[in-house]
Amino acid sequence: MKRKGKILRIFPKDTNTDEIIAGKYKYDELDLEKLAVHTFESIDPLFYADASKTKNPLIVGATNFGCGSSREQAPQVLKTCGISCVIAESFARIFYRNCFNIGLPVIECKDMTKKVAQGDEIVVDFELGIIHNITKKEEYDFKPIPKFMQELLEAGGLMPYLRLHGGYRD
Amino acid sequence: MYKTMAEKILSDKRGADVSTGDTVIVPVDFVFSHDGTMPLAIRQMESGLSTRKVYDPYKVAGVCDHASPSPSEKASNVHIFMRKFAKENKMPYFFENGDGICHQIVVEKFAAPWNIIIGGDSHTCTHGALGAFATGMGSTDIAAIMAYGKTWLRVPESFKIEVTGTLPKHVCSKDVILHTIGEITADGATYMSMEFLGDGVDAMSVESRLTMSNMAIEAGAVTGLCQTDSKVRAFLESHKRGQEYRTLAPDKNATYADEIVVEVEGMEPMIAYPHRVDNVAPVTQFEGVDVDQVCIGSCTNGRMEDIRIAAQILNGKKVAENTRLVVYPASRDILIRAMDEGLIKTLAEAGAAICPPGCGFCIGRTVALGDGEVALSTQNRNFKGRMGNDNAEIYLCSPATAAVSAITGKITDPRDGLRW
Ligand code: SF4
Repeated sequence: MKRKGKILRIFPKDTNTDEIIAGKYKYDELDLEKLAVHTFESIDPLFYADASKTKNPLIVGATNFGCGSSREQAPQVLKTCGISCVIAESFARIFYRNCFNIGLPVIECKDMTKKVAQGDEIVVDFELGIIHNITKKEEYDFKPIPKFMQELLEAGGLMPYLRLHGGYRD
Repeated sequence: MYKTMAEKILSDKRGADVSTGDTVIVPVDFVFSHDGTMPLAIRQMESGLSTRKVYDPYKVAGVCDHASPSPSEKASNVHIFMRKFAKENKMPYFFENGDGICHQIVVEKFAAPWNIIIGGDSHTCTHGALGAFATGMGSTDIAAIMAYGKTWLRVPESFKIEVTGTLPKHVCSKDVILHTIGEITADGATYMSMEFLGDGVDAMSVESRLTMSNMAIEAGAVTGLCQTDSKVRAFLESHKRGQEYRTLAPDKNATYADEIVVEVEGMEPMIAYPHRVDNVAPVTQFEGVDVDQVCIGSCTNGRMEDIRIAAQILNGKKVAENTRLVVYPASRDILIRAMDEGLIKTLAEAGAAICPPGCGFCIGRTVALGDGEVALSTQNRNFKGRMGNDNAEIYLCSPATAAVSAITGKITDPRDGLRW
């Protein structure tokens, strides 16, 4: 599996799920399309508009991306905004897990925020564990995603995976 | 291969040696969720898997605790939705308004060493104190487990927390875990299993260990394990589950990704000040701060020994005029035992509002704070807005510090008996 795209934004350390989607909307709005309009609203009001204009947008985060409450709406709105991959220096555990469960690819790459700039075109090769930065003509390694988690992503998330196989295959 | 406790449990469940970084599919011994997370999990079963049938009704529980007793018609309707699901699945374990907090119920009735326990709540790590690999997950995961009885896990690295020495009087395991989180920070143990070891942990009661395991998630950990011993056996026996005891300990040469030694001899009572759990300082730094509401309870500190120490401190004393004290026993069992021991009477006489078992103040569904108010609480999170008001401040502390501060109406060091 490969994902090609453009780095839309770079977020700082400890970006939390409340910043991704504020808790106040979670209770009022169940429609993801409508909820997605508010993605990153409090810290980056232009995010949704810019994401809609960009082809295959990717986002980059520093350490502990997605910390805070375990709300699944956080990765879901990112996916709904068309984000094709999130690359961070590290993720908070439940957010990381939720991403695979909903079929949003996430990878961890050391010092990522220092290596890339907003607007860089990159290609992520999941099998080889390599990010090609086309703009800067550089390559960065990351630890390949375990096979089972790749299968989850290919199926589109945990529910489609379980439907496809009639349960867990082990 | 030498193994940590997490690697041992997951290898046992997998039936093969597993090590850090492996992704494994494992059977789940027990799964539960509550009125905040179960409705969404049921909907996910319906929409994602086209079923409402649980894999084994004896291994799934639902608990009405977050909005309990129900404060609104919306919450009551959520409870109806959950009840219906439990009934159609013939689930014998459905816990009603007033039965208690999900984690305390699971501790009393279900958790056992070497189990894998998954809850639809981030503080499921609590059960690590009984030697269970226990962790919180989102509603998609809970739905999948309710339907199939299995889940996927990444075998975590481990962070060894070596606690040594004897705790001074009125310094509690809560102070130890606050200190630890202050040292390693809120993401210091991300993805890791925290393993609490050392003579300091051996000397603690099971209840004290539960307080530490409960807060492992506040350092980002997946679970917070303690070794099992005669105290765990006695604890299980006291809940008529002695036969579920099994010994669990890490191998001596197990590999840890990180470790820290926490020396508790001479440790001061700690406080986490607004609005982060890792904003930790000795209580003495905040002494004298006026407190509007003191809260004793939650899945962190609502157990017998917490209520006992509060009653002991408040015996014959009165809650200060400028403050309110609310007490929520963590479960019905604890409420009854505290009544039998006369603790509830002591606390009520001192001026405490005695509330029905449940989450209560911890998420502000009841006794929410007013604008500009300050709370001192024995719970595990002090995030902005956590107790129902963005314009309020929450400090976290031990039950001893909470009880003493209720008498003075100000944040007070519990060690200095002359001042309260
Ligand atoms: S007492 Fe607080 S932390 Fe514990 S389960 Fe309830 S809301 Fe969560």
